[in-house]
Amino acid sequence: MRQALPAPSGRDQDIVELLQQGRPEPAFTALLERYEGKVYRLCCALLGEHAQAQDAAQDSLVRVWRALGRYDGRASLSSWIYAITRNRCLTALSRRRPTDSLEALLQEGDEAHLGLAHASDAADPDERSRRLLELVDLLPERSRQVLRLYYFEERSVAEVAAMLGCPQGTVKTTLFRARAALSGLLERRGLADPTYWRELET
Amino acid sequence: MNHQGAHPGWDDALDSALRRALPAPPLPRDFRARLAAARSAAELGDRDASAALRARLEREQREQLAELENEFVRVRRGTLGTLLGVAFAAGAAAAVAMPWLRAHLGSHVHVAITWGGVAVGLGIVAVSLGGWLQTPNR
Repeated sequence: MRQALPAPSGRDQDIVELLQQGRPEPAFTALLERYEGKVYRLCCALLGEHAQAQDAAQDSLVRVWRALGRYDGRASLSSWIYAITRNRCLTALSRRRPTDSLEALLQEGDEAHLGLAHASDAADPDERSRRLLELVDLLPERSRQVLRLYYFEERSVAEVAAMLGCPQGTVKTTLFRARAALSGLLERRGLADPTYWRELET
Repeated sequence: MNHQGAHPGWDDALDSALRRALPAPPLPRDFRARLAAARSAAELGDRDASAALRARLEREQREQLAELENEFVRVRRGTLGTLLGVAFAAGAAAAVAMPWLRAHLGSHVHVAITWGGVAVGLGIVAVSLGGWLQTPNR
């Protein structure tokens, strides 16, 4: 169930006022300053691929620019921008070939199909991170989207919920499941050892 | 979010590993420039689309006006043809029927023809008026 859209927040009020004064150009510049990074990160989280995310983010912002004159201020500016961005990303995702999910792969019992070497072989922290990301990519689509965005947005559940247009409880549940699935995958490889991952910090 | 299991501190370790593996992607350096180019292209596209729409509407309007003009000329020709045909038919009928009318009506033949003409005229007017009243958006 979708949450009711919040009214324009105080920090977006200046942009709304510029729009009401009939000054879309400075309003769009202010909007870019505030939202271009978030729009790009949302696209990265939803699409997972940086080149595609850049195209989607630019296209979303062009759509925002074209629709700016029709923004009526009933919903918050951020919700409106994120909704446009999500729609653009959903269109891009619908054109993609469906990928194999973690469940399907594990049901097949074909671990070799995962194409992952044992991560403990990797001494290089970057290599370990890369292999961890490979496991993240095996999670169900929604789980990896939420997980990516959660860390992109400095672990703010509220921000992730606003960007994905869903309740905070849903984000928490999805995060819990994603981490549980990831822990399971690491455990199967004998990598659920905190000391092994703490080495990355040093 | 607790998956501690046999490994105390596992959640924190996984959290820090994910934090390291998933840093916020920085905005590409040419993002603004590419966005400006995309905006210009979109505005150009909008202008082209508006011009194309305007041209199409103007062409359709011209075609509709030409069609109306053709229809008007066709109706005028039809009306003129009908009038000439009716006048010719009336003259021919009068020429054929005159001997018979003289034989039966005698000196009242002119009055009878006049009233007959008036009756036909009133009939035509009545039919036209009926058609006009039934026309929608008259």
